[in-house]
Formats: sequence, C-alpha cells, structure tokens
Amino acid sequence: MSKEVALRANDLHKRFLLPKDKAAGLKMAILNRFKGIKGYTEQKVLKGISFEVYKGEFLGIIGRNGSGKSTLLKLLAGIYVPEKGSVEVNGTLVSFIELGVGFNPELTGRENVYLSGALLGFSNEEMEEMYEDIVDFAELEPFMAQKLKNYSSGMYVRLAFSIAIRAKGDILILDEVLAVGDAAFQEKCNQYFKSLKGSQTVILVTHNMAAVRNFCTRAMLIDGGEIAGIGKPEKIAEEYLELFKN
Amino acid sequence: MKKLPNIFYRKNRILLKELVRTDFKLRYQGSTLGYLWAVLKPMMMFAVLYVVFVNFLRIGGDIPHFAVYLLAGIVFWNFFVESTSQGMQAIVIRGDLLRKVNFPKYILVVSSTVSALINFAINLGVVIIFALLNGVVPTWTWLLVPLLILEMYALSLGLAFLFGAINVKFRDISSIWDVLVQAMFYAVPIIYPITMVAEMSGTVAKILLLNPIAQIIQDVRYCLITHEAVTVWSFVGNSFVRLIPIILVVTILMLASMYFRKKSKYFAEEV
Repeated sequence: MSKEVALRANDLHKRFLLPKDKAAGLKMAILNRFKGIKGYTEQKVLKGISFEVYKGEFLGIIGRNGSGKSTLLKLLAGIYVPEKGSVEVNGTLVSFIELGVGFNPELTGRENVYLSGALLGFSNEEMEEMYEDIVDFAELEPFMAQKLKNYSSGMYVRLAFSIAIRAKGDILILDEVLAVGDAAFQEKCNQYFKSLKGSQTVILVTHNMAAVRNFCTRAMLIDGGEIAGIGKPEKIAEEYLELFKN
Repeated sequence: MKKLPNIFYRKNRILLKELVRTDFKLRYQGSTLGYLWAVLKPMMMFAVLYVVFVNFLRIGGDIPHFAVYLLAGIVFWNFFVESTSQGMQAIVIRGDLLRKVNFPKYILVVSSTVSALINFAINLGVVIIFALLNGVVPTWTWLLVPLLILEMYALSLGLAFLFGAINVKFRDISSIWDVLVQAMFYAVPIIYPITMVAEMSGTVAKILLLNPIAQIIQDVRYCLITHEAVTVWSFVGNSFVRLIPIILVVTILMLASMYFRKKSKYFAEEV
C-alpha cells in the first residue's frame, strides 16, 4: 500500500455555544447582558485532533455517544468550520452523514439520484456514468420512473445506500452507513465493503465492532474529544469495549 | 477549489439547475390546472384591482392604456415580493440538508430567486400580449426593459441574501418583512398614478420615486407602455439625486452578499 496522504487533520478544535433556557426571548437576553450573565454554556467537543489517512485506507472511527465522532466527521466534510486547526484534503471528498439527505418524495427515483448527485458536487456526465451502476447495485431498475413516495422503506434505503457507496469520490466519508435492507442485500453490502480494502479511501464512523474488525485497515478511538488510541482494528476495538467495563 | 464560491463554476451551475428544476416541478404539484396558475394568478389579481380602481374609484383616467400600465406594475411588484420572501426562507427550509451535506449555501438563495424569475418571465409575457392587444405600439425603448429587469433582480437578490442570512438566527424577520411589504405596496405608485401625489406635494412624489422599486416600475411603464409615465429621470432635477435608486441597489447587493458570505460558514451549526 502506498503511503500517500489522502486526508490530514491538523489540531482540530471545536466548541459549541449551547444557549441556556434562561436566554430564550428578547427580555432575558437584554437582562442577561446587563447583569453580565452569559446566555450560553460552552461545550468543548473536540480538543486537538490530529491524524492522517493514507490513500486506500479504510479508517474506522469509534467512541462512545457524545465523544465527538460525528462532529469530527462534519469538520472533515467541511460542514462545520473548526475553531482552530485545519483539514487538508487531497482529492475529492464525498460525505454521507445520513442516508437519503435531500431526497424528495414527490420526485421519481431517477430524479432523486441526479439531485443527490448535484448536491454532492458531481457533474451531469459523472452522474450518467454512475447512474447504471447505482441502479444495478440497488436492484431497482423497474422502479426508477416511480415517485419516491411510492417506494417501500427497504427500496428507499437501498437507493440511498447505493448512491452513497457508488459515488466515485477519492475519499468516502460514512456515518453509520452500513448494511441495509434484507439479509440478501446486507450480505451484498458486506461483500462490497470487504472488496473495498486497499482500493478506496474510506472513513467510517460506527458502533459496530464486527464491521471495524472485518472492513477496517486501521481504527481510531475517540474519547472526550481526544484521540484515545489509533492503530490495529482488533486492538482498538478491544480498547473501546474496555471503556464500558468500569 | 476552496476559493470563492463562483457561480460560473460548473458544478455550482449544475446544482443550481437541479434545484430550480425541482422547485418548478413541485410548485404546482397536485393541482389540476398546473402551470396555468403561473399565468392565471396575476391575471386574476389584475382583474380585482382593475374593477376596484378603474371602474369604481376611477383613478388613472388620463393615463393611456391604464389597464396594462397597472398590470405591468403589479407583475414587477409580485416578482419583488415572491423573490424576497422565498429567498428569505431558502436557507431555513433546507436546514436539514445544510447539517448533512457541504455545498455552497448561496446557491439555495439564488435558486429560489431564479424560480421567481421564471414565474416572472411568464407573467411578463402576459403583460406584453395585453399591451399589444390594447394597441400599445412597440418602440425602441422596449429594448431597455431587460436592463430594468436586471436591476430588479439585483435588488431582490441582495435583499434575499440579507434576509436569508438574518432569518437563520432571527426568525422574526419574516413577520417583519410581511408587514413592511404590505406598507410598501402603498408607498410605491403601483395602483395609483404618481401624478396624484405630485398634485398634493411635489417633494413627497420625488421621495417616493427615489425608492428603487418605484423607479424601476415607472421606468418600465415609460419604456414599455406610454412615454407619459412620470419617471425619476424626468421628475427629479438634480442629476446626482436621480442616481440614488441605482446606487442603493448596487450597495444593497454588495453589502448583502458580503454579509451572507461571512455568515454562511456557520449556517450548518445555527440553523
């Protein structure tokens, strides 16, 4: 495996200002200002995260709820702006924080694929190239002219999932986007993820340790907004499970 | 790639096209008459105003082609209201999307104003057909109308950027704007001729005409329908003061886009 850097995070810091109940409304806002009370509490979510992802790597990010995984992913994807630090991306980055974002139930399956593509920053020609592949993978050819509102929920997630994994970006960012659909389709997803090893750069946030062990080439454990461990998936998965023992 | 968001950047244009197309498809979703409503709505509103103001109140009797004159004003006004109100909501209604995908936010505002622009183009077609049926003779000044449309679009886009950004944190702005729009409808000479105001006070009429919307609507009427329409160019003597409407439009667009760009980084967190 070549050691070319695909993505580098430099000392990422992120804090959120969470408004207190008391700060709701104009009256309290003015009163608080006079009294010198801050209308919000500051929550430091990320406290200096630095790491590198190499080309072809499948990096799993794990951690407890509220440890800052999703915030980190949003910083990498450029959805949030870091307080301090920077993200360098070498190539194109495609992120799926959630499946089916931007889907419109009144549009047909086909129209939704193109709309999603445009949101992700793909040109029409790129989408045309990917279209067949996406529909094939989702096994939904006969339904593409149907409105999305007539899809079953299984069909819906299959389409969304296929766009996510068939989108041709240099780096793919996924938040808990794993096997969906029925047993047969899940098996297909698992096979697909396994086949990615070494060929596609992926950053995956998950709570599924089986996925970490099976698909990832490296894993990173985040705890309290800091990197608690980075290295072999088996070892990091152990460390993660250790967190819950005491 | 991380430089200025650029409308000429191809991927942004494709996204813009997709969003406008989606909006257009969904606009008259489920209605029997469908796109016909785009034409029917301004005509019906025109019919109401015509009956009230021309038949009952007998305003504008001395202005040639007053019916078309009225319609042109209403169509431009409707575009202004539609593009600013929809542009203001563009960021907020897509909040869910902003939190999950990274894309240039200004495209949302531009797409909603472009949708309004398409609607407006259909309405303008209706105005021109009415004008010709009414016996208006096309003159070379018709060629100036696109410039006025551009000015109107610049003004609406500027305000849409400004309100769209403010609306993320301060939702009251949409209620405030609703009231202001109502008030402005009467402060702009749309349903009454500006000469009526001028008879009472020349100064007030001049101030009213310095409002960019009034300037645009009166210019459109002058260029498209009758050279008897009073414009800021003929009514205000001072050649610097006459430029105020255009200076206002340019300033609003520039400051509003700068403000929007500064704020748009944090939309995902705040919306």
